[in-house]
Amino acid sequence: MSGRSLVGIAIAASVALVAIYLAAGGSGYEPTPVADPCAEREWRSPQGVEEAAQQFFLSALDGAACELGVSRETLAAALATEESRQAFAAEQGIDDAELETAVRAGLVRGIDDAENAGALSPLVADGLRAVATRVPVDEAIGLIENGSAIFGDAGGVIDDLGGLLDQAGDLIP
Amino acid sequence: MSVARSGRLRAALAVGVGLVLADSSVVVLALPDIYRELDVSVSAVTWVLVAFNLVLAISALPAAALARRIGPARIALAGMVVFGTSSLVCGLSGTIELLLVARCTQAIGGAAAVCASLELLPAVVGSEQRAATVWAASGALGAALGPGIGGLLTELISWQSIFFVQVPVAAACAVALIAPARSEGSRERVEAEVGAAGRPHLAANAALALVSAALAAALFLVVLLLIEGWRMSPIGAAAAVTVMPICALATAPLASRVVAVEARAAAGVILIAGGLAGLGLLPDASVVLTLPPQALVGAGLALTLSALTEAALAGRSPQAIHGGWTIASRHAGVVAGLLLLTPVFTADLETERANAEQAGIAALLDADLPPGTKLDLATRIADQIAAEGDKVPVVGPAFEPLPDDPVERSATVALRTSIESEVDRAATHAFSASFLIAAAFALAALVPIGLARRRIGL
Repeated sequence: MSGRSLVGIAIAASVALVAIYLAAGGSGYEPTPVADPCAEREWRSPQGVEEAAQQFFLSALDGAACELGVSRETLAAALATEESRQAFAAEQGIDDAELETAVRAGLVRGIDDAENAGALSPLVADGLRAVATRVPVDEAIGLIENGSAIFGDAGGVIDDLGGLLDQAGDLIP
Repeated sequence: MSVARSGRLRAALAVGVGLVLADSSVVVLALPDIYRELDVSVSAVTWVLVAFNLVLAISALPAAALARRIGPARIALAGMVVFGTSSLVCGLSGTIELLLVARCTQAIGGAAAVCASLELLPAVVGSEQRAATVWAASGALGAALGPGIGGLLTELISWQSIFFVQVPVAAACAVALIAPARSEGSRERVEAEVGAAGRPHLAANAALALVSAALAAALFLVVLLLIEGWRMSPIGAAAAVTVMPICALATAPLASRVVAVEARAAAGVILIAGGLAGLGLLPDASVVLTLPPQALVGAGLALTLSALTEAALAGRSPQAIHGGWTIASRHAGVVAGLLLLTPVFTADLETERANAEQAGIAALLDADLPPGTKLDLATRIADQIAAEGDKVPVVGPAFEPLPDDPVERSATVALRTSIESEVDRAATHAFSASFLIAAAFALAALVPIGLARRRIGL
């Protein structure tokens, strides 16, 4: 075999491989994009209690993330463990008051989105919004995590939390 | 020298050269195990490779000069003894510090054995040209076989066994060198010859350095991609990277049919560049897709390393000194490749790891699972990622045990598949830039090859 043929074969083989891999999408990798938490997200099938609870959970996470200026995914990862929560707060320079404000904003966003999607009546939504601004932050987080309670028995939730607020009010001189 | 004795010595020299040069890549597949066992970072463990290649590059020329001054058989014998003893210490090392010191002394012994062997080979094989061919082929074969053998030993026994098996091989080579060392006469006049050694073949050595930098990426990064990126077992990765030496062996006869050294060198670097570009453009995280690029790299390696080494040695004397230059160039190239590319791929790996984490959480949040289950999974995945430190995470165990409810179970399995696919794609992409830079190194070798062809007829 001549030297020229050898070089020609090498060029052909290399170009063919690169062309095939490019055609197969070799240079097309993009990480799955992460949505803007402040943008509206459409509720999928909000009819059932469990489905609505899921959408409520995601809306509330979006609302809290939007308030903090991070992605929903970053906030979800931060909330996974106590260590990750502390690391996130230190990294973002967030204190407890700001975190509480964000949780409440998330809860209100979830209630708003549920109302807009027709999963909550305006009357119940108003009641929940009033509760959301005053309820202790742990209860607010509990509501976000267990949204099925809201969609299964919203009135009961308002009564329970209202009672809790009354008790708290009695303690305040 | 009797025919049998000559044959034994020839085999010992060829095996010795292959053994030493295999060591520049033999631990590649063992690196993940070493850094887990010795508890060091990816960057730190890279020094197990870098230290050996760096010291080999630095000590090659002094070793060659020593071989000329004291006698090649004596230096080859001493080199093999040092190499074998250091291999034993490497295997017994319980700390990264001791392992690195032993790797350095291993490289000093190895440099002595390899450079002195080139001085001994012409008398055994009949001519300097034939000696250069045998020497270059042994080195290329050793470098290509190294990762596969290392991976096999790591999986079947342990990373330490890679070093332990070298001890008897080095001892056997040393035994074959005892008789020539004893019969070696005094070499009083050699000092003058050392001083008079001609200039090294700059173009061939520069091309060797660039190609070796590219090959370091091919051998090192492919293995890391398979084991760390795609979480393959060392034995699986060893099987996958065996494609390279197989193609190198298959191409070797073709190389001998083409007389034009510059054509072999140029074709080789084009194939290496093409193969590396293919690895940088993998369409999917599939081991099968790595095979054609590896085949090109293997074929290119066989063509170019032997051609450039022959060119660097042709008509130059003394052979040991010019052989020393080729070893110094090759291993300096390997070191440069590793040092330049390691920060690139570790930074990319970190970026892609963060991207994959976000994408994985997005998939988790959008999964058709109750919020409580999602939060529980998120906690387990976060724990799993934290436990894996700076490595590409294995998220599968975070999904165990699977839920009993069939619908939830199916959704959980789909989610696991989606996250694992995202991690695989991100890990694959993390290596892309490094492979493409390595391909550029290989293509850059065409410049010295072309210049040498024009000016002095490579």
